This record gives sequence, C-alpha cells and structure tokens, in this order.
Amino acid sequence: MAAVAAPAVPPPVRLRVGRAAGLLALVLGATLLLSPILGNVAIPPGLVVRILLDHLSGGWLVSSPCAGFAVSPRLCAAYGEIVWESRFPEVLLALGAGAALGCSGASLQGIFRNPLADPFLLGISSGATVGAALVFDFRIDLSQANLALPLFAFVGALATGGVILLAARSRFGSVETLLLTGVALSSFLSSLLSLLLLVNPTGSLQVDFWLLGNIGDGTWSVDGIVLGVLLITGTLLSLFGRELNLLQLGNDVAQSLGVDARRVRVLVLLLTCLTTAVAVAFTGIIGFVGLVSPHIIRRTFGTDYRIVVPGSAVVGGAFLLGARDLSVWVLPSSVLPIGIFTAFAGAPFFAYLLYRRRSRSPMGAV
Amino acid sequence: MSLNIPTAPTPPSPRTVSMALFAVGLLVVAGAAIAATSVYFDLRPATTPGDLTVTDDLGRTVTVPHDPSRVVVLGPSILDAMVSLGLRSHVVGVDCYVPAFGGIDEDYSAGQIANWSLSPSMCVQVEPLVDEELLNLTPQLVLATTIVSVLDVETISQTYHIPVVMLQPPSLSGIEVDLDLLGSIFGVASQAQAVNAELAAGIANATAFQANLTDQYPPVPFPTVLVTYDVDSNGYWTYGPGTFGESLIELASATSISANATLQYPELPGEEVLADNPTYIVYGTGFGLTESNFTGAPFWSSLSAPSDGHAYGMYSIYLTEPDPTMILVGLPLLLDLLHPGWE
Amino acid sequence: MTDPPSPAVRLSGVTIRYGERVALAGVDLEVRPGEFVALAGPNGSGKTTLLRALLGFLSPDAGVVEVLGGEPRSVSVRERARRVAWVPQEEGARDDVPLLDYLLYGRYAQLRPLEGETDEDRSRAMGVLAEVGLADRAEDGILSLSGGERQRAILGRALVQASPVLLLDEPTAHLDIGHQLDLLGRVRSLAAVGRVTVIAALHDLNLAARFADRIVVLSRGRKVADGPPASVLSEELLERVWGVVAELRRDRRTGASYLLPYRPATPAPQGPTSLGPGPVHVVGGGGTASPLLRALAEQGYRLTAGVLNLLDSDHETAQELGVPCTVEVPFAPIGPEARARLRGMLEAARAIVVAPFPVGPSNLSNLEDLQPFASRVLLLPRTKNDAWDFADGAATRALAALRSAGAVEAAGPDGWRTALNDRLDLAPKPA
Repeated sequence: MAAVAAPAVPPPVRLRVGRAAGLLALVLGATLLLSPILGNVAIPPGLVVRILLDHLSGGWLVSSPCAGFAVSPRLCAAYGEIVWESRFPEVLLALGAGAALGCSGASLQGIFRNPLADPFLLGISSGATVGAALVFDFRIDLSQANLALPLFAFVGALATGGVILLAARSRFGSVETLLLTGVALSSFLSSLLSLLLLVNPTGSLQVDFWLLGNIGDGTWSVDGIVLGVLLITGTLLSLFGRELNLLQLGNDVAQSLGVDARRVRVLVLLLTCLTTAVAVAFTGIIGFVGLVSPHIIRRTFGTDYRIVVPGSAVVGGAFLLGARDLSVWVLPSSVLPIGIFTAFAGAPFFAYLLYRRRSRSPMGAV
Repeated sequence: MSLNIPTAPTPPSPRTVSMALFAVGLLVVAGAAIAATSVYFDLRPATTPGDLTVTDDLGRTVTVPHDPSRVVVLGPSILDAMVSLGLRSHVVGVDCYVPAFGGIDEDYSAGQIANWSLSPSMCVQVEPLVDEELLNLTPQLVLATTIVSVLDVETISQTYHIPVVMLQPPSLSGIEVDLDLLGSIFGVASQAQAVNAELAAGIANATAFQANLTDQYPPVPFPTVLVTYDVDSNGYWTYGPGTFGESLIELASATSISANATLQYPELPGEEVLADNPTYIVYGTGFGLTESNFTGAPFWSSLSAPSDGHAYGMYSIYLTEPDPTMILVGLPLLLDLLHPGWE
Repeated sequence: MTDPPSPAVRLSGVTIRYGERVALAGVDLEVRPGEFVALAGPNGSGKTTLLRALLGFLSPDAGVVEVLGGEPRSVSVRERARRVAWVPQEEGARDDVPLLDYLLYGRYAQLRPLEGETDEDRSRAMGVLAEVGLADRAEDGILSLSGGERQRAILGRALVQASPVLLLDEPTAHLDIGHQLDLLGRVRSLAAVGRVTVIAALHDLNLAARFADRIVVLSRGRKVADGPPASVLSEELLERVWGVVAELRRDRRTGASYLLPYRPATPAPQGPTSLGPGPVHVVGGGGTASPLLRALAEQGYRLTAGVLNLLDSDHETAQELGVPCTVEVPFAPIGPEARARLRGMLEAARAIVVAPFPVGPSNLSNLEDLQPFASRVLLLPRTKNDAWDFADGAATRALAALRSAGAVEAAGPDGWRTALNDRLDLAPKPA
C-alpha cells in the first residue's frame, strides 16, 4: 500500500470525558453544600450555610453563625448540632453509600455481562439483613461500641459473599453457577430471617424499617468508615476497567487476549462484596442506585468500563443525594426510608432511559 | 499487497507507570487511614456529661447529670412514672406515640391528658427516631424504653453525647426499681418511696384475695380467661408467658388460656379458642380497635363468654405499659371484671 | 550443519476427550516458524479442538502441546496472549464498542497493569485498520459493521496483538469472494514476510491449496494427511474423508491443483444393474436422456453417461440412479479431461444410445467423439428440422457421419429397444 496518510486518529475517551467530569464535580460540590438546608426541623437556609462555612473553615470564613438571626443561644446550639452532627454527615453518607453502590453495580454488570445486575445480586443483602435481625431481636449491644449493628450486618454480608467467592474460585465458578448459588443463598437466608422475625415483634418492626434503607444514621465516624473503604475499593475497582471491557467479548476471547477471566472475577467479586457490605452495614438495603447509575453513564459516555465504573460511583452518589433531598423536601416531618424513594423516583426514570429512542446502531439489540 | 506489521512496541516511559502506582497507593493508604481512625473513634466508649453514675434496666452504666431540667421521655410508661413522681415540669419532649398525639386519646381519661398539658412541639418521632427533633429540644437526659432501637440509643449517646437511661422493667417488680432509680437521679427519693408503697399495697391486695381463694377447701378454681388485644380472620392475638399482661392475669387470680404458649405474643387460632372456651373474655380497646372489631372475630358467636355476658372491653394500654397506672388502675379493673365484688 | 529451527508449534501424540467422545486421537504435528498451515477436515474432525488446545483452553488427556517451546497451560494467561493471537469463528460482542478501541483491545497483553495506551499505540492501530480496509469506520460501533467487516475487524485486532503465532478458525466464513482472497493473501504475506506462524482452519480445500504452504487433514480426530497441497489433495482423499466424489483438475493459470466435487458418494445401487446386460452408454443433455436412463435402469441394464454438465437435469437423474457419469462444469466447453474420460467409457461400452439432445458448439464433441465407435451407436429419432442443431449445421453433419459409419437409426419411439437388444447381441464380446 502506498504511503497514504492514515485518517485522523480519534481522541481517546479520557479527553472526551474530562470536561464533563469537571463540570459534574462543581455541581456535586454545590449540591453538597446546599443539601443540608433540607431537613426535618425548619432552619433558615442562610443560617445553615453559615453554620457549614463556620465549621468547614474552622471559624475563619464565618465566626458567629447565628448573628443576625432571631435565635436564642440554646436554639443556636441546637441548630449547630443538627446541621454539623446530623445533617451534613447524613449528606456525606448519602454520597458515599450511593457511590459505593454505583461502582459495585457497574462492576457486577461487567462481570456478569448483564445489564440487570445490581450489588445485591448474589444474596449479600439477605446475609446483611440476617445479621441486622440478630442485633435488633436480641438487642445485642457491644458495651458502648456504636458498631454492633453495622458489624453484624457487615459480617452477615461478608459471610454470604464468602460463600459466593468460594464458589467462584472452584471448578464451578462459571457465571451461571454463581448466579444460581446467589439465588439459593438468598432463599435460604430469607427463610432464616422470617424465623428470626417471629421471635420479637418490636425487633421485627425495626428490621423491616432497616430493610427499606435509610441514611438517617450518618455520623462523622460512619462517614469516615464508608468513605475510607470506598476510597480503597473504588480505586481498585476502577483499575479493572480494561479487563471488564475485554470480558464483554466472552470468556474465551478475553482469555485469548490475555485476561485471566477467573482471577478477575474473583478479585472483582471480592471488592464489590466488601464495598456493598460496608454500604449496607450503615444504610440498609437501598435498591435501584446500583442498577441505574451504570446505565446513566453508559448512555452518556459509552460502554468503556474504564469510564463506567468510576462514573457510576459519581452518578450513584449524586443519585442518592438527590433522592435524600427529594424525600426530605416532600415529607419534611418524617424520616422516609430512602429505599422507598429511590425505587419511587428511580423506576420511572429508568423506564424513561430505556424507552427513549436510540439514535444509532441499526443492529443493536434493545 | 504490502503489510504494515506492527513491530514490538516501544516500552512505556517508566515515569508514567510509577506515577500511576503512586497515585493508587496514596488513595489506598488515605482510605485505610480514614477508615481506621473512624473505627477507633467509634469504638471508644461514649462519654456523657454528668456526675452521677447509674445502671439502667439493660445493664448499661451511664453517667447522668444530677436533677436535669430538660428531659426527653421516649415511651408512654416513663411519662406516667415521671408524672406520678411529680416531675412533669422536667419533661420537655415526649415520643409521639404518647396519647394526645396519635389520635388514641380514649386510652387515657380526658383529665389525665389535660393534666399533662402536652403540646405538639414536644413530639419526637421514635419509630424511627428523628434525630433532628430530638436535638431541637437540647435535652440533658433521655429516658427510653425498648421502642428505641439499639442503633438509635448508641447514636444519641455516642454521637450527640446525651446520656440515655433505658427503663424497661423485665417484670412487675421492676417498676418499683425504676421509680427508685428516677428518685435517685432527680433527688425525689422520698416521693419514689411513697409511690412504691402504693404499688406494693395494690399488689398486696390482689395477693391477699388470691390467698383467700386458694386457702379454701376445696380451693376455688381460677376462672379461665382470654385476654386479647387484636383480632384478624385467623384468630386472636394474646399475651403469652413472660409478658406484663400475663403477670397481671395471674395476679388477678385467673388462668389465661395462652399461659403455656411458646411465643410471647402468640396468635391463637379461632378453633383453639373455641375448644378452650374461656369463661371470660377481656378484649382490648384503644389503638383504633373497638368492640365491633371483636364481635366479628372467628367463632365469636359460638363462644360462651359473650353470650353469658362475660365479655368486657378494657383499654389494652393498661396491660402493656409497665408503669404505676398499670398496677393502680389496670389491676383493680381486671379484678373487677373477673371477680366482681372481690374486695 | 546447523540444527533445523525449533518448531513454533508442536503436538506430540495429543489425545483429547470430551467425556466419552474422542475429539483428537494421538495427533502429531510440527509447524515451523513462518509456515502457513491449513487445517482441513469435515465437521467434528477435531480442527477446533486442536486450535483450542494451542490456545491453552484445553489440557490434553495424553501427549504434549508446545507453543514456542512451552506448554500453553504452564505460562500465565497474559503470556499465552503474547505468544498466540486468535481469530475466532464468531464472537458475541454485545456492546457497541468503537472500532478503534476494539482493535486496541489486542494491545492488552503487551501493556503492563497500570499502563495506559499511548498515542503511538492508537496510530499504529489506525494503520492496521487501514490495512484491513476499515479506516473510515474508526469511530463507528462494532455492532454497526456487517458480518464480513466484523471478521476483518477481528483479524485487525489479532494483527494489533502482534503475536508470533496466529490461529484462525474459519476466517472466510462470512466474506464475499473478493474479501476471502484478500484476507488469505494478507495472511500469507504475514507468514512469508513477517515470519508469523499461521494455522488456519479452512473448510474450502481449494482456498487452502491456493494459499497455504501445507495442508493437514483431520478425520474423526486423527491426522490422515500432512503435506504440501499438491501431494495432499487427491480424489481418493476427498472421497475417503469427506465422502464426496470429486475430480482433481489443474488450474491452467496458476498451475495449482483444485478439486471439483460433484456429488456425495452414494453407496453402489443394489440389484440387477450390477449383473445386467451392458454396459450401455447414454449420450444426452437438456433432459432428453432422463426417460431413457430411467427406462434402461428399470430393466436392469448397466449404464454410463456423459458428457453432461453439472447443472443438467440428466446429470441429476444419473446421480439419482447411481449411474457413473462424465461431467463438465457449467457454461464451459467440454475440456480435454472430460473427453478423455468419455473415451474410456465409450471403449468399455457395448452399446451407445444417443438421445435427441440439443447440440451446440460446447457439446458438439459429444457427437464427434462417437465417430470411432459408430458401429455401437444407436440414434434415437430426432425431428427432421434442425431445431436441435445450434452449431451451424456441424451437428447434422456429425450425425450424418455417424450414420454412414454404421450407426443405426431407431425406428419409432419403441423401436429402439429391439434395436438395442440387437445391438448388444451383435456387438463383439469384450475381450
């Protein structure tokens, strides 16, 4: 072939995404600062922002937040406590848990090559719920430690995940076998749960509520744990983007290109299990976030998992934060389990995404 | 046809790879540090301000201030106890479950509610706990029953550093223990002793009456009774062993047909109640339930108690909330129904 | 004397079983670097199994598989990919990956774990895209390509992988003839110029013969032939392994051999025809000989026929009845090989019956070649006008020549039977 200049090389995907990412970060930051305005107790918005800035800047930007507002010292102390110890940590937890669920869901969708996969696919939610039920029913209380419930839920989730991982490492570690194992585990654990709930009615009420998912228990130490773990697992999961891309072509082809499908599966499952377990331990079962976030990213930025996994974390966090804001705005006087809201708002949005007319790909399936 | 065969690629700049590794390592270490620090802070025991150390009904050791002026009470039984000790003025918040909020005013007499003078701003939702409403009241002490979940208790004490004393008596005698505890916290020990004496007298009355029945020869048999607080198409919900309801029934010299049940709050199938055919039926009103709910219950018309005129309604709150009212009002009422003219 | 270069690929006594079924049985194979080996064999003969063993997907139950001196399953998956590139028969891509990114997937094995793709990688990949003729589709999704384009894209990805061994599984399946030749030509250059060892499973033996250095034939898991195309391709092989009756021809332009398959090998028909009178050779075409063939076969005569072209309905009838037939390709004049075979049949025949077939310049030789055997010829009646002569009268003249040399005209539609029997009695007995 004669020396003809090759056609212009299209730019790599990271450049295409870079600009959008910057904009998203700005929007997210603003939302983070403004979300605490919404809450159960009516506090003037200006006061909320001043309290936040006071605490965030260590008194440098704003020193006496209540100045200029007709608020008694006692109430000012109350508001300060509410905003800084309850609302802002709750907002951060929404962000962290949403991000955890988002990138978990994206990774699992990649591993299972199934757009309907979500973080609870393998029965992890059932294991966590059984752990929580044990705590609520028997009022297990690790003498002053605030971690009894999250610990039990975490261990329950991890134990279930452990069984899945054992299956994944064995000869029977195909995608189909893993799914069936998850289904079997879920059923078993659900019946165990029903048994536990018969024992103590008050406990069962509390479990039911926990099951629906809530971020009301966000505190600074909870945030630290969730965000800390997310930083680790989210980073590591994002590093598997290339492998996930290749896995979409099928196990054999991926193997021929150099990807050890089984090893990748085990590692990704381990990481998603950990991530989901941490999120679930502190927030209960929040559905839809892990399912929808990857789809949103895919439709905007394409199917490259190097973008989809971290992108789903961002979208997941924004989604849960938005759901929190919406639920508090709609029903300010009560604490609505956020899981209800994500399904309520998420389902129509999901339907809209699915049925929006696609512009290209004449041979693409639905 | 010539072919441009890609030859072996040039190795990457080592700097790019090590920079990437460094970034990943940094993120991982930062994450681990943040998580570890948070776990450490979370595991440290809760420190709450105060100079008095008490042990509550769940065995928790709590440091509380002496005679606090701002107290939030979560659980109707505790409010009743506080009122009986004359401590109503210390109560700045109650849980919304307390009558006068949830539309269940008929459980207590109008006088009692007026007595308490509760206002809507004092309401704190408990199931689930709405943190903000609690914080808005800036309490110095929270008294709670087990309607508050474990997690919420720890959040209040660990995160907001507000002492929580759990008052959940395991049995009738526990009510007196709680009154003494409240007496020591608020410095009204003598008042507590007085109320306790009343409770003791009330129980003594019932016990004496029971002795009367058992000392006779032949001993007078205890009447069988079904005490039910809810019905559905399957059967009757009742009190099993280990519940206050059951204790009161025993004190009232009666035998509950669910005394040997396995669960604490069992549902007895209609057929079983029909087979047992208790002499008396006491159905619980309040919580939105009235007599008509029970007359439509399974096999109601075939049971002898209703047709004999031995089916009575009673506020079920008298049988569930462990407080002075249970013994001073509920127990005598039960005795009146089951043993008319007992005194 | 230098040692011969170590083989790029070697199988020594490799046996692979799937449960009870033996997919490969004691296969030995050596492929030198830079060779282009075609794997041929019917469906289920073990071609795909052999390729999968080379890829390290399967472990042999017996024997040793070596690629570049090492067993595939003893090295890491990444290393395997650096050694062997694979163009599979089909691929279930579900996402609409942009084509350039799709090709860059081939670079995965070369990159280290945290390493990204450089701009140099991308322009090299663009170059490969240009090579396979898809440069203008670089940003299109893989799902928007046709089957053939996708196959070229997969080849492109394998080229980007730049491994010294290239395995292809039916790479020409969805390609039109032009692209088939193009792709195989590129692969051949790759082997010859780039010293890439190529093993390709090909179902088209003729394409294999044209482009490969060697053909390895598998049948039911065993290697039954291994050598250059000229020595491997034979009619006997095709019949034995594929069960197809074919003719070996030589391409006038390239000098390469090629096989012309013309019918599945059917078992010899039972019955009286093997012992019946004859052989009687039938000359026809255009459907004119069919009733004759049927009638004669029914009555138990041994038959031969020819020269008929492959699409002719008379040929179909002959096949149906199991009558050995000399054939020629459609739309071509009867060539020397066909005429030679015809001569053989005519010499063996005791009687020759000529049906009233239309004669043109391309099958005129069917009449002309009968001349030496005119005494055995029986001509069935034709219409007097020349509606059947499309050879400018040459056919009429040939017939006249036959008559004057002793060919007998059958009298009327049924008279030919009597004439035939007479002919058979009168013809000299075979020596």
